Amino acid sequence: MAVCPVYTTQSLNSTCSISTPSKTHFSSHHNHLVFYRTSKRTSKRGGSSSCVITCSAGDSQTVVIGLAADSGCGKSTFMRRLTSVFGGAAEPPKGGNPDSNTLISDMTTVICLDDYHSLDRTGRKEKGVTALDPRANDFDLMYEQVKALKSGIAVDKPIYNHVTGLLDPPELIKPPKILVIEGLHPMFDERVRDLLDFSIYLDISNEVKFAWKIQRDMAERGHSLESIKASIEARKPDFDAFIDPQKQYADAVIEVLPTQLIPDDNEGKVLRVRLIMKEGVEHFSPVYLFDEGSTISWIPCGRKLTCSYPGIKFSYGPDTYFGHEVSVLEMDGQFDRLDELIYVESHLSNLSTKFYGEVTQQMLKHADFPGSNNGTGLFQTIVGLKIRDLYEQITAIKTAAPLQATKA
Amino acid sequence: MATLFTLNLVTPRAIASLPDSTKGSPIRVPYLNQPWKRILSPLESRRMQVRAAPDRLSEKVEQSIKEAQEACSDDPASGECVAAWDEVEELSAAASHARDRLKDNDPLENYCQDNPETDECKTYDN
Repeated sequence: MAVCPVYTTQSLNSTCSISTPSKTHFSSHHNHLVFYRTSKRTSKRGGSSSCVITCSAGDSQTVVIGLAADSGCGKSTFMRRLTSVFGGAAEPPKGGNPDSNTLISDMTTVICLDDYHSLDRTGRKEKGVTALDPRANDFDLMYEQVKALKSGIAVDKPIYNHVTGLLDPPELIKPPKILVIEGLHPMFDERVRDLLDFSIYLDISNEVKFAWKIQRDMAERGHSLESIKASIEARKPDFDAFIDPQKQYADAVIEVLPTQLIPDDNEGKVLRVRLIMKEGVEHFSPVYLFDEGSTISWIPCGRKLTCSYPGIKFSYGPDTYFGHEVSVLEMDGQFDRLDELIYVESHLSNLSTKFYGEVTQQMLKHADFPGSNNGTGLFQTIVGLKIRDLYEQITAIKTAAPLQATKA
Repeated sequence: MATLFTLNLVTPRAIASLPDSTKGSPIRVPYLNQPWKRILSPLESRRMQVRAAPDRLSEKVEQSIKEAQEACSDDPASGECVAAWDEVEELSAAASHARDRLKDNDPLENYCQDNPETDECKTYDN
């Protein structure tokens, strides 16, 4: 084997390991010639531009997460919690299209899959197709671009303008450390599914969805209870046919149901949230309560902790979900005080926190976000920490591999 | 004079170099003669644009609901009916996002994010 000199330049906090893997995009000869593509990129906000050598090696360092749910890119609460776990606020790209759906922070880039609509609003109206229908989406382009970003190549991604309903000129997306694709169909196409390192499905039950949509839309002129109901009913067939089946492929499902603590509650204020975690997923160890693999039912309110009505109820246990082994952690009720949250956190295990109280701290940081007092906020925060853990495990493996290759 | 309203940075020099004024003729500054044709300052015009987006969307939502109800009165199971209600859903979501964004929009915070070294935005921590 010929000796290949590997030159690394350290530039401004960017870790760039130049390795010679078997397939390199830019090597013309197979005898270890790696071409560097230098690109001017601002690595830190604050205007200092540095020359960063982007090595688009075969094995990339971009971790791809998929998030599926209804209603376009309205999972912004989840996104904000996720990006805040990594630090920094995610914002739309500066100086670009103001109606862009993309969010960029230091470590993460969030892409809205609505940008891959092949038909714009008028096109869909003409064909009589909803946005949920796969005929309205370009899965080939989605696969190509996600693959490119995962391999460290920047792409020109189209923009779907939600205000005008048209497809705007593309924007440049540079490969980030963590790429999150959120939308209606992240797990629909099998090729895209294989690119995902972790996938999440947000499953809102019909009653809760109805209650939330009422809260959202009643302030809007023109909307009435009937129109909201008609809108949900009309979309249901397409939703059940195309979106719902994706939950069997998800590594984690957050299921939101009406509470069982208050009989006949239809306000949807108190929620029962279940975190369904698939067993056997690489780099992902499910959260558990007290004893892994056993079935537990736990009401923390009692002598040590006083809660107000309706209280909090937890349960944990193994189960099967669409033929897979899963662990389910369930929370019913809501948090009223800080010490309830800390008490609960101290009894959960395998949270992937870096210090005691990190979950509580993250929840308090965003106390104004919806769901901060119930299981939705809690489980979204926990999933965020799990994704951080997964990212660190994957990057640890990737940086260890080239060292071994050069030793050989 | 529609172009004036889309101009964000209006300087006296820019007004003078408008296509109407030719070299040698007196520089016509519109707002002196016609005070109702006020040139909006950058902050005001930005505020007007920001306020316009949710209003535009609200009107679109209203219109789309009417269209959906019409489309569904003929045939509730047709593709047109379903697509029309999907459009209502999409516009309602966009309207609610626009309302949320408006709530968080603090002009001082936005300015200081881009210009932290200016007098208004300097923070002294010790």
